[in-house]
Amino acid sequence: MNKIRKPLLYIMISLVSLASLFPFYMMIAMSTFKTEKMFQTIPLYFSNYLLNNLKTVFGSNFLRAYGNSLLVSCVSTVFCTLISAMVGFALVAYRFRFRSVLKKLIMLTMMVPVQLGIVGYMIEMRTLHLTGTRLPMILIWLANGFGAYWMMQYIESSLPMEMVESARVDGSGELNTFFKIVLPCVKPGIVTLILLIFLWSWNSYLVPLVFVNDNTTMTIPIFIKSLGNAYMTDYAAQITGLAVATVPLLLLFILGSRNFIQGLTAGAVKG
Amino acid sequence: MNHSMKTTGKKRGKHWDYSVKYPLIFVLPFCICFFAFNLFPIIYSFFLSLHDWSGVGEKKYVGLQNYIMIFTRDKIFFKSLRNTLYLLLISFPPAIIIGLLIAAFLFNIKRLRTFFQTVNFLPYITTPVAIGLIFLFLFDRNTGIVNRLIEGAGGEGLNWLGNPGLAQLVIAFMILWKYIGYYMALYLAGMTSISQDIYDAARVDGAGAVRTFFSITLPLLKPINIFIIVTSLIGGLQLFDEPNLMFNVSTTSIIGGPKRSCLTMFWNFYDVAFGSTARLGYGSAVAVCIFIVILIISVIGLCLMGGKEERKHE
Repeated sequence: MNKIRKPLLYIMISLVSLASLFPFYMMIAMSTFKTEKMFQTIPLYFSNYLLNNLKTVFGSNFLRAYGNSLLVSCVSTVFCTLISAMVGFALVAYRFRFRSVLKKLIMLTMMVPVQLGIVGYMIEMRTLHLTGTRLPMILIWLANGFGAYWMMQYIESSLPMEMVESARVDGSGELNTFFKIVLPCVKPGIVTLILLIFLWSWNSYLVPLVFVNDNTTMTIPIFIKSLGNAYMTDYAAQITGLAVATVPLLLLFILGSRNFIQGLTAGAVKG
Repeated sequence: MNHSMKTTGKKRGKHWDYSVKYPLIFVLPFCICFFAFNLFPIIYSFFLSLHDWSGVGEKKYVGLQNYIMIFTRDKIFFKSLRNTLYLLLISFPPAIIIGLLIAAFLFNIKRLRTFFQTVNFLPYITTPVAIGLIFLFLFDRNTGIVNRLIEGAGGEGLNWLGNPGLAQLVIAFMILWKYIGYYMALYLAGMTSISQDIYDAARVDGAGAVRTFFSITLPLLKPINIFIIVTSLIGGLQLFDEPNLMFNVSTTSIIGGPKRSCLTMFWNFYDVAFGSTARLGYGSAVAVCIFIVILIISVIGLCLMGGKEERKHE
């Protein structure tokens, strides 16, 4: 690498990074303005109205939406990961009838967007009297084609079957083996899946859009959508709502960014 | 295997445990949830697509009438298909190429690599709806920062979100903004996994940086290329969240942005099924058609990738 090109590379990558950050910066800068004042200047600097805007936002449904999103995403993630790991383990550890059929089915479901069945899903949930609860937003995540495929691949490549067999010889029950030996062994794969399912369910929009029709079950994406109606003309409050809805997750990501990016890219590199 | 099944069936001993009992215990949660919450809704949607139904009252069996309607009279469905393909074509290929280029640059940089990677990854993990709202603020005609900057520089602000072509550009730009960092991280991860020995050998043979990139890095990145192309195709065809948020607040009754230029397939599906007039049967038929489109395009994408590779080997 010669001496002229290297600084040039740094300048280029810095410009791209600036473009990535600019909208976030604008969002945070604008949330510190009073709406009227925001329109008088170009809000590239920080003003002093943030606390008032925050007061407006926290006076609305924000905390409830946050709680709902956390609840829905955590429950979905825990159960989806567990179910995926179980089916993945079964496909690797046992030879049983319909094994290859199940394998093919899982591969097929990865290609089909689940949302296409949303009409049938909505009617099903209505028949089960589950509309108006948070369950429809959770149940759709339980059997995830990608999750099952990912766990199968991961367990196949990184679980030494001798460990499972020696546990059997020692008289350990299969469920016991699964929780005590298999799961700790494939921890990195599980962490990746947890991150992905959490991210996907947290950002999920279409399913909540169909099922949420009042404030009690509202999730963050629906809250963001409702900002426009909630503060008709108070732009600053809208932007502040947007900022408080997105920034905490982004900060969390930055704190664990090394693992996070590794986890998110691992699937592509391995597959 | 068949033989052992028969014998264990009689004994029901340890072998039966490992070929029937335990597999069943581990597979059952997935199978039950999959059938109940994924497969059944899709089958039921297909059943509904043969009916005329608004969600209440009697379902009226109409056979293939809904499908005939879509193919003969539904101009909006085909417009949404064209829009989606157009948005896909003008946004994902540049995003992939730019992501690859930046990854190639970053790969040669040791200092600050993690920092740049993290910063550029932020758009990808931001809630899509939030991205829609951010871009709505940035590109608003009167209050948006982009127009204010243009005006500040002495130019004349554009009606970004009101002009069909410009609105599509804004959506494309948004996709670009969101995915460059993600693709960059994917390619970087792929490049890091390539053995350093190969690069050393290339250097010994006197290959320059550009030559090394095209002859070694790019071919070895094939699995990632396939992953990126297939996922971006499937993801791009499902585009819904961002345009829906950006153009939903419009005061007119026409959905999908100016002249429906940003009406994507999924948005059209959502609107037909759950919009102002709930037509669940017709909406389900639209969903089935989208499914077929996604299937065809994914297969074409996979074949193109495979075909290219074969020709290279000849």
